[in-house]
Amino acid sequence: MNDETKQKINKRYERELDKGERFWPDTIFRDLIMSLGIFLLLILLASFVGIPVEPKADPSDTSYIPRPEWYFLFLFKFLALYGQLPLIGKIEWLATVLVPGVAIGILTLLPFIEKSPNRYYSKRILPISIMTIMVTGIVMLTLMSEVPTVAEDGSTLLGTLQTIVGIFIPVIAYVLFAFFKSNTRLMIWTTSLAALSMIIISGTVLALAPEKKAEETEVATTLVDQIFAGQDLYSIHCTECHGDDGSIAVIQGVEGLEGEKITPINSRDVLYTITDSAMAEVIAYGRPSSGMTPFGKTYGGELSKSEIDYIVVFMRYMWDDRFEVPQEALKPLFPPLAAGEVPSYDVHIQPIVKRYCISCHRAGKENNNYLMTTYEEILTTGDQAANNVIAGDEGSYLLQVIQEHAIMNPEKPGEELIGVMPPNRALKPNVVDVFFRWVMNGMPRTAVEAGALSTTPAATPTP
Amino acid sequence: MWNTIYNWLDERLGFNELYTNLLDRPEPKTTWWNTLGSASMFLFIMQGLTGIFLTVYYTPSPDHAYDSIQYIMEGVAFGWLIRGIHHWGATLMVILVFVHMLRVFFTASFKFPRELTWLIGIGLFLTTLGMGFTGYLLPWNQKAYWATTVGTQIAGTVPFLGEFILKALRGGPELSALTLQRFFSAHIWIIPALLAGLMGVHLYLIIKHGESHFPTKED
Repeated sequence: MNDETKQKINKRYERELDKGERFWPDTIFRDLIMSLGIFLLLILLASFVGIPVEPKADPSDTSYIPRPEWYFLFLFKFLALYGQLPLIGKIEWLATVLVPGVAIGILTLLPFIEKSPNRYYSKRILPISIMTIMVTGIVMLTLMSEVPTVAEDGSTLLGTLQTIVGIFIPVIAYVLFAFFKSNTRLMIWTTSLAALSMIIISGTVLALAPEKKAEETEVATTLVDQIFAGQDLYSIHCTECHGDDGSIAVIQGVEGLEGEKITPINSRDVLYTITDSAMAEVIAYGRPSSGMTPFGKTYGGELSKSEIDYIVVFMRYMWDDRFEVPQEALKPLFPPLAAGEVPSYDVHIQPIVKRYCISCHRAGKENNNYLMTTYEEILTTGDQAANNVIAGDEGSYLLQVIQEHAIMNPEKPGEELIGVMPPNRALKPNVVDVFFRWVMNGMPRTAVEAGALSTTPAATPTP
Repeated sequence: MWNTIYNWLDERLGFNELYTNLLDRPEPKTTWWNTLGSASMFLFIMQGLTGIFLTVYYTPSPDHAYDSIQYIMEGVAFGWLIRGIHHWGATLMVILVFVHMLRVFFTASFKFPRELTWLIGIGLFLTTLGMGFTGYLLPWNQKAYWATTVGTQIAGTVPFLGEFILKALRGGPELSALTLQRFFSAHIWIIPALLAGLMGVHLYLIIKHGESHFPTKED
């Protein structure tokens, strides 16, 4: 750039300044309004949208689908699409290093690449076209980042369409630019058509995309929630051997561990000498020497890091006398029943079953195929499905066994068909009463159904 | 009394010169598109302030990071608001800086005499992304952990140097306590220092050359 052009540019700017404004108060006023607006927007976002709750990092959870920050999603998508290309798709660094590297390089050196002093839009049609396609691609790839490239039924249609948007159209457009760059009208047509087709195809992809399953990750954020979560997990995974209050010293009724002597885990010996992290490790690794299997996902168990932490929190606050349980965490398992009131599955049976039964009555355990994880399962599964739960029948096997009456095998006298339940200790009378009233009144599912069957006016007292 | 203090300060600081040099400058006609840069700076300051508050409670170790953030959200008065602003501010800042860059590109404001301003601006854009990348790991939740795992993996595909870059970023072959520690250090010391320095130069250049005018057919 010669001095003459520089002078011309400076003169031109002087003229703009003459008919312009003052920084103070004109320009800065608008800046301040903008900043204030952003500040308000931030407060609104923080208050009403908030931050999604995520479970704690768990390096062992290989089922987690890793995704980068949202503003890198387009790059991630680009890599996925690129990886499907034949031949060059295998050379990973072309897409991870070369393409972004060149893009950033060009962007950085832009003032030294686009050296002409022309600033008006129509005189810069080539760079503007290139950037338009680039930005359209970035936005579209970001929008499509959730859509899989290969559908569950194996169809690659969506993947192909995405590749057309993310790779083919931009490449074709860029090649055409090389031929058309001196013809403004053709450039505008090419850019508009390319950008438009990218938007339309992306829209099609998004419309055809399989509906995203809402992933439900329950994360206990408050101490009380953590204690509850820990209690539920403890009931499912630990009660079989340790009992519902951790007091068991000799295991009974567990196949393969019958008569095994263990330390009661609610004792001071355990709680005072083992730190939280050591306790979490015992749960994760197990105690192979005394028959305890590993529970951490890393070692083949079912529990994530967060879940193990919840169990530890539960044990501490419930059994360790140095910790004070928050009052809210002591609320009863189910609201007490008034005379004549009928319990429902949702309000009464479900929490009880979760605490006392699911530990064994779930898939993968020895339970005569009787599963109790849902309402339907309780009514319909099991080898004795026909006799387990019969509306209005005191002889229902379920009611019999929880009242400590084992069911005898009619074909082989003297042999138990179903033992008493739970095997280790009897349920408290009020819990048995809930089951009794529930079965005798026809197993209502919701509180409303139960309320209709109740003979008391205050059918569902608020807890 | 106030006059005495004012005069004393004025003799030493020179309010008049500050006023004429910084505030009472001529500018070409500007629009809302010209506010994106100052808005980005405002967000940087907000991120700095809220970030300082967060470090009061945050612990950069795998054992405590997650819990300390949970404590900020549940236990600290207005902790949720501070973290919410920091969280959304990061997202908005990336968007604003990017749109600011696009505006400068489309109006060709990077041309003479503002080439250096553009160069520094790219540096600001990259450091902003760096802030986002390092900050994302700090909550030490599933999303953060795995995002950083992929992110560093991608950096590891660089030919020849990949392995070294990967290990330098992670502080070892795997994501660990060291990774969290160095991301934290980068997030609160290294990158912000770089960003603030670049921003100072960027601002000086803008004041020196003034904002560019929107191009017309003449340009």
